[in-house]
Amino acid sequence: MKQSNIALLESEGSLYTLDRFTVVPVLQTGGTIRAIEGEKIAFPESSSLSVFPYGPSSGGMVESVYFDILTQGEKIQHVGYDADFKNRSIKLSGLTMNEALLRIERMNGVHCAAYSSLFCNICESGINMDVPDQVKYLRIAMMEAERISSHLFVASRLTGGASQNIAHMNILLLREELLRTIAMAFGHRYFFGVNGIGGINRPVDLNGFAKKIRHITDEYNEIFRTLMDSRVFIDRLDRSAIILGENSSGPALRGSGIKKDGRNFHTYYEGLEFRTITADGGDALARFIVRSGEIQESAAIVEQAVSRVSKLNVDSQGNERNHSFMAGGFMETPSGDASMIVKMGNGRVESIGFRSPSILNMQAFVESVSGNTFADFLFGYESLGIWICEMGDFQ
Amino acid sequence: MKAWILRSFKKGIITSKFPRGKNETASPWSTLPIYKKGKQDPYCPAGAIAQGKVDANRCISCGLCYPEYEPSMDIHGSESSVSVSALKKSIRIYQIDVGSCGACNLEIGALANPQYDMTRLGISFTNTPRHADALMVSGVLTENMREPLRRAYEAMAQPGVVFAVGACAISGSILGKAVSDALHIDVTVPGCPPDPFTIMDAVQKARGIV
Repeated sequence: MKQSNIALLESEGSLYTLDRFTVVPVLQTGGTIRAIEGEKIAFPESSSLSVFPYGPSSGGMVESVYFDILTQGEKIQHVGYDADFKNRSIKLSGLTMNEALLRIERMNGVHCAAYSSLFCNICESGINMDVPDQVKYLRIAMMEAERISSHLFVASRLTGGASQNIAHMNILLLREELLRTIAMAFGHRYFFGVNGIGGINRPVDLNGFAKKIRHITDEYNEIFRTLMDSRVFIDRLDRSAIILGENSSGPALRGSGIKKDGRNFHTYYEGLEFRTITADGGDALARFIVRSGEIQESAAIVEQAVSRVSKLNVDSQGNERNHSFMAGGFMETPSGDASMIVKMGNGRVESIGFRSPSILNMQAFVESVSGNTFADFLFGYESLGIWICEMGDFQ
Repeated sequence: MKAWILRSFKKGIITSKFPRGKNETASPWSTLPIYKKGKQDPYCPAGAIAQGKVDANRCISCGLCYPEYEPSMDIHGSESSVSVSALKKSIRIYQIDVGSCGACNLEIGALANPQYDMTRLGISFTNTPRHADALMVSGVLTENMREPLRRAYEAMAQPGVVFAVGACAISGSILGKAVSDALHIDVTVPGCPPDPFTIMDAVQKARGIV
């Protein structure tokens, strides 16, 4: 099913929805599915307007995506997009929980920890499995390290785009150090295969992990402070792609001054101390400031989580029984909150409803960038941390 | 400006000596797993394990074969059917994502990190296939990307080298079709995603340097 602005699941002629930051799917009577379709622009009649087709494969983008950019001189009048080029339509129906988990991990490999934790959390609550606190804290450590890595990547894209080459290289250097630290601790730079239903699949070594992360984030903080002294850098981000209101997700939402973070509502994060970072303005600069603040907060969360994990046994509990349930959940991924509904029957996935943060943020982006100059396009897009891979549908 | 210069001096040289020296690190499960113990082949969701051996092209680096298998930490798992001496001095690479999870894209991009610094080996990225000597393809082949991939290949200067980066591109892994369904693959770079050192090693092999 195609993703919409809320998680939808269609089962036996009924439609279930899951609101943001909630875990209980609601039955909709007489509901219809609002599929979002990439809007393409008809070629303009006016000779002063021109359409700039961009993509689907282009050296400037990390992933394959197509944009129609309608411009009048330097000014962007309208942007349409098609994110379906690399839609893999990942097949999940008929699979066991463990088989589905491997595919969920690869829905967005860069945010594997968040999505695998979300799926495990939903399945565990669906089968009423009691998961040890240590497993929860380990997942938090994974997700927060992943958040730092993802935010560093966005920061590297912004500094690279603004030709701040030394800062760009320094941030790439830190991200590489972080990935190597993650690989040493978890055996994989992107956490593939670590999470299992009810536990973990292989041993982890957290010795020195939190300390190394703190060292990396402290170094980033120095870079951030130096960047904030650079008028050249700030001018490139300031007032680019302004997003206000609740129609965005994650750092974009908080960058418009709204203090909403899925971690504040999630049971995993109860008892952990961290600040919800917000900024004013809703522009690319505000989102950059939010991400940079969150990098520091994530380091603090990693420290707290790791201190609560002592010795962990490798044990993903018996989960291949014929479970039947419908359950929902959400998780704050580095790009924003994701919602998912899972329906299992006789131990097999019957259907999955999903809404990724990139669905919301892409729509917010194309609306916000109209009226900006052409040069703002990159900063608007990159500052949102949009991942096309997670915008696809499931079979 | 002074702050940046001081930072650089403080950091010193951090670029790897690879390929002249040994790779300093490796992402453990992105390297080929090797048999350690146990009598039977363990469960492999990708069907990559048979009779005590792992098919590198199918392995999705999930580590579910642990503890019977453990990572080899060998980053030389790529295979090249070409050795293009014309590219020994420099090679320009165009990266194309035909349906990836994003991880392979970032690992290819990581070659530009200071730790790897691909430019010291004459490797660089280009933003258009017209200027490329090689295509690095990541992800499973989606139907909508079949045509852009073909066009990118045709735009590339010949002899163009095609790298399939990651299990998805090489074999379709557990998610879909392999890139070989649309193009002939010259170099396979196994891993899910491959370690950046593995990708760098594969580029050197295609140039006939290793």
